[in-house]
Amino acid sequence: MSVAPSQEKTNSGDIQVRRGITRRQALATALAAGVGVGAVRLLGGSMQNLATPKAGSGTDWVSPLGSESARVMHLVRRATFGSTPAQIESALSDGFSRTVDRLIETKPVEPPQLAAASAPGGRFAIAQLQQWWIDHMLGTATPFAERMTLFWHGHFTSDYRKAGDNTFMYWQNLTWRRMSMTDLRSMLMQVTIDPAMLRYLDLATSTGQSPNENYSRELMELFTMGPGNYTEDDVRQSARALAGWQVPQPDSFASVTMNNVTRRLPVYSSQKVGVFNPRRAFKGDVSYLGKTGPLDTQGVIDRILAQPATARFISSRVAQQFVSGQPDAAFVTSIADAFRRSKYDMKTLMHAVFTSPQFTAAQSYRTLVKSPTEFMVHAQRALGATNSKLIVAAGSGMGQSVFDPPDVGGWPNNESWISSNTVVERVNFVSAALSQVKTALPATSDAARVHLDGVLSPQTAKLLNQAADDRARWFITLASPEFQLK
Amino acid sequence: MTREIGINQLKRRDFLKAGLVFGAGAAGLAAGYAAVPDAFARAVYAAKREGVTNDNILVMIQLAGGNDGLRTVVPLADPALHDLRPKLSGPMVSQALPLNDRFGLNHNLGAIKGLWDKGRVAIVQGVGYPNPTFSHFESIRIWETGDPTRRQVDGWLGRTLANAYDSNGHPLTGCACGATDVPGALRDLQATMTVIQNQKTFGFTGGSEVEAAVGALYKGTPGIYGALFDTAIATATETMATLRTSAASYQPMADYSDKVQLVYSSKNQLAAALQLASELIVTGTGVKLLHVTLGGFDTHYTELNRHDDLMGYLDSAVGAFYQDLAAHGMADKVLIATWSEFGRRPKENASGGTDHGAAAPLLLIGDPVKGGLYGEEPSLTALDGSGNLKYAVDFRSVYQEILGGHLGAGSSQILGASFDRVPFLKAPVAAIA
Repeated sequence: MSVAPSQEKTNSGDIQVRRGITRRQALATALAAGVGVGAVRLLGGSMQNLATPKAGSGTDWVSPLGSESARVMHLVRRATFGSTPAQIESALSDGFSRTVDRLIETKPVEPPQLAAASAPGGRFAIAQLQQWWIDHMLGTATPFAERMTLFWHGHFTSDYRKAGDNTFMYWQNLTWRRMSMTDLRSMLMQVTIDPAMLRYLDLATSTGQSPNENYSRELMELFTMGPGNYTEDDVRQSARALAGWQVPQPDSFASVTMNNVTRRLPVYSSQKVGVFNPRRAFKGDVSYLGKTGPLDTQGVIDRILAQPATARFISSRVAQQFVSGQPDAAFVTSIADAFRRSKYDMKTLMHAVFTSPQFTAAQSYRTLVKSPTEFMVHAQRALGATNSKLIVAAGSGMGQSVFDPPDVGGWPNNESWISSNTVVERVNFVSAALSQVKTALPATSDAARVHLDGVLSPQTAKLLNQAADDRARWFITLASPEFQLK
Repeated sequence: MTREIGINQLKRRDFLKAGLVFGAGAAGLAAGYAAVPDAFARAVYAAKREGVTNDNILVMIQLAGGNDGLRTVVPLADPALHDLRPKLSGPMVSQALPLNDRFGLNHNLGAIKGLWDKGRVAIVQGVGYPNPTFSHFESIRIWETGDPTRRQVDGWLGRTLANAYDSNGHPLTGCACGATDVPGALRDLQATMTVIQNQKTFGFTGGSEVEAAVGALYKGTPGIYGALFDTAIATATETMATLRTSAASYQPMADYSDKVQLVYSSKNQLAAALQLASELIVTGTGVKLLHVTLGGFDTHYTELNRHDDLMGYLDSAVGAFYQDLAAHGMADKVLIATWSEFGRRPKENASGGTDHGAAAPLLLIGDPVKGGLYGEEPSLTALDGSGNLKYAVDFRSVYQEILGGHLGAGSSQILGASFDRVPFLKAPVAAIA
């Protein structure tokens, strides 16, 4: 089990990120250690310019975010899974703020139905579900919706192994996409009664008489408030209040024989949510988060939303994923205030994040590491390739298989994505992706500018200049440290 | 078996000089890792050289999710157990493998019981820490950093790698086997360590040409992750070279089977990871601290069979690992230790499982241990306010014994304090604390 990025509460109540590298620490010591070299900013798009790299100052990337077009590309890189040349062109002509509005306001395009998901008992290969989602990431007209769906999949996480029914995982993905830019209050109810979640965190088997604490605890610790903002007694009390939900009744059963064993497996004719069984619920008062009285699931959610910690926690997670691994406490407070004032409206929160000075500050440039899924989808979109099978197969070596998070904390981020194992896997993915493109590769004349902002390390610039052909240039571009960052 | 794979001829004094040049002393924060040469490059298999005694190796096995201590080391004669666990206690008591008249091992721990009979298993009971947290992530971090106050960010083994040297003055080397990311226990930006998920696929597609290109690409990378990327690539390259040599000379002398049907959520191939650990150990790569993980212990529901299956899987993997080490003449050097973020609630829940708990036993396995029961079993009737077992032994007491007694590292420096002794080692290499 790997360690999720965790927060702890300080005395002032601010969320602090525990692990991670601050820019100042790294750069100061790098300088002292004598490892610094200049990052260069390319002027213009022609490869010829690479021959005379202009030395930057010190050890950091030279931020290009002073220019509108670089800000647009920065936004596209962080908020989407890469874009087609036409999408990039239209974003550049719209400009930064109209692109933010379009990303946030455009209704998510639904993925096509997955026929396999009607298999009785959800018994179909998980790879089919993984490929179905990756295919949609590769082809969708609304890649921001997929980025948010992946964010929520890591946040309100479930894995297919314990859910034990891949149809439930399919439903969860559809639900998370539909709710991804709505409001936290309705989202938390949908999360609580999602069939895969009912299984994953055991609420489906909890009863008022003998409650299972799993969901109750993680709802507060990982989904809403963060540790330190509730007591162990709150965990026990809300476990009582939440008990009573069960997975939905199937519409029918089908007899399926696998490996010489015949089983009656559930069949659902349409997507369903959990059902509440009052006989399994707790009867009586509970004392939860400082108040005593009868309490149902909506009541639990509303009390969580009444805690200031909730807006701060969600905002902090969003900031870590979209702005900086070490977001500034005052910045988190400001977006959290906006989020809470808007009654937890996700559009308000994401708008506040993208239009904040922090998002496009020079200090934010290349401070996030692309997750494996982002890296692979971005790379294939850059190549005009659509090989979801390759992405599904390559994910686990880099530490990320969708629908199969390492634990209930979802996936870690940034420096956790970098190890001797994962860097090799990333490079090998680029080799594999290139070898599967049988037709002519896209031209590389603009690749370093479009995909790397023209901000290259001297090494990358040198190797691109030395590369013999387009294939080699694409390899350098996609395997470069620049491309791993966003 | 003496080999000098990856041995760097640096003497301690030279290294310290180099350290000064790098400016990457103990105070060097964050990017100090940039100055750390590649894994294995500086490591030395000090053992077989004259005058060197500290060639001991540690293998930590993480039982992730919170291992149920009461089903691992079973109280055989406590009537309270049945009251707390009407559904879960029956077969676990009747089938347990007795250690004495009061305790027995889970019935699937047959190989470990065999080692117990030979005096090669120490069990420390009632291990925990004050004011336990029931959050997986908080408690994992506490165990990983060795700091219940949650101020420390580096791992206890990472700090060991970063601060301790072997007798020739070379820094110690760590490896996470079967993982993709650096386990928190080994994390320290100045630690020399590598991560290998699957040995068979660990290499660059395209061979030496790609390796050279990537090596050139990842040099002096700017930005906050630059040094981390560069070190990861350099470490990977060194590791590949090491594995090419070790794989050619290693013959497993035990049956590592990952064919056991994996129970839910144990996503880790423990046997394969331990086989790789064995290869790195017996071929003399110089690796000192190894970490492997078996997941799936968060048994909130239908615990009965799942926990037994996990115990069986752990047992067969550890049994093969020990046998392999012994056949290669390395069993006297290697200490195997289990850890888990917490035990489980003594009272079972409605789902036929158990919720997050507190104190639990740890297993220490290998020829270096003095077999027997240590610590104190927690009372099933005097539970704490949350209905959990009270701890008797601070987990850092166990760390202290491992660091000082087995590795010969300065435990009070690494742990920041001294703790009560738990003398489970046969012949500690150094005075402890």
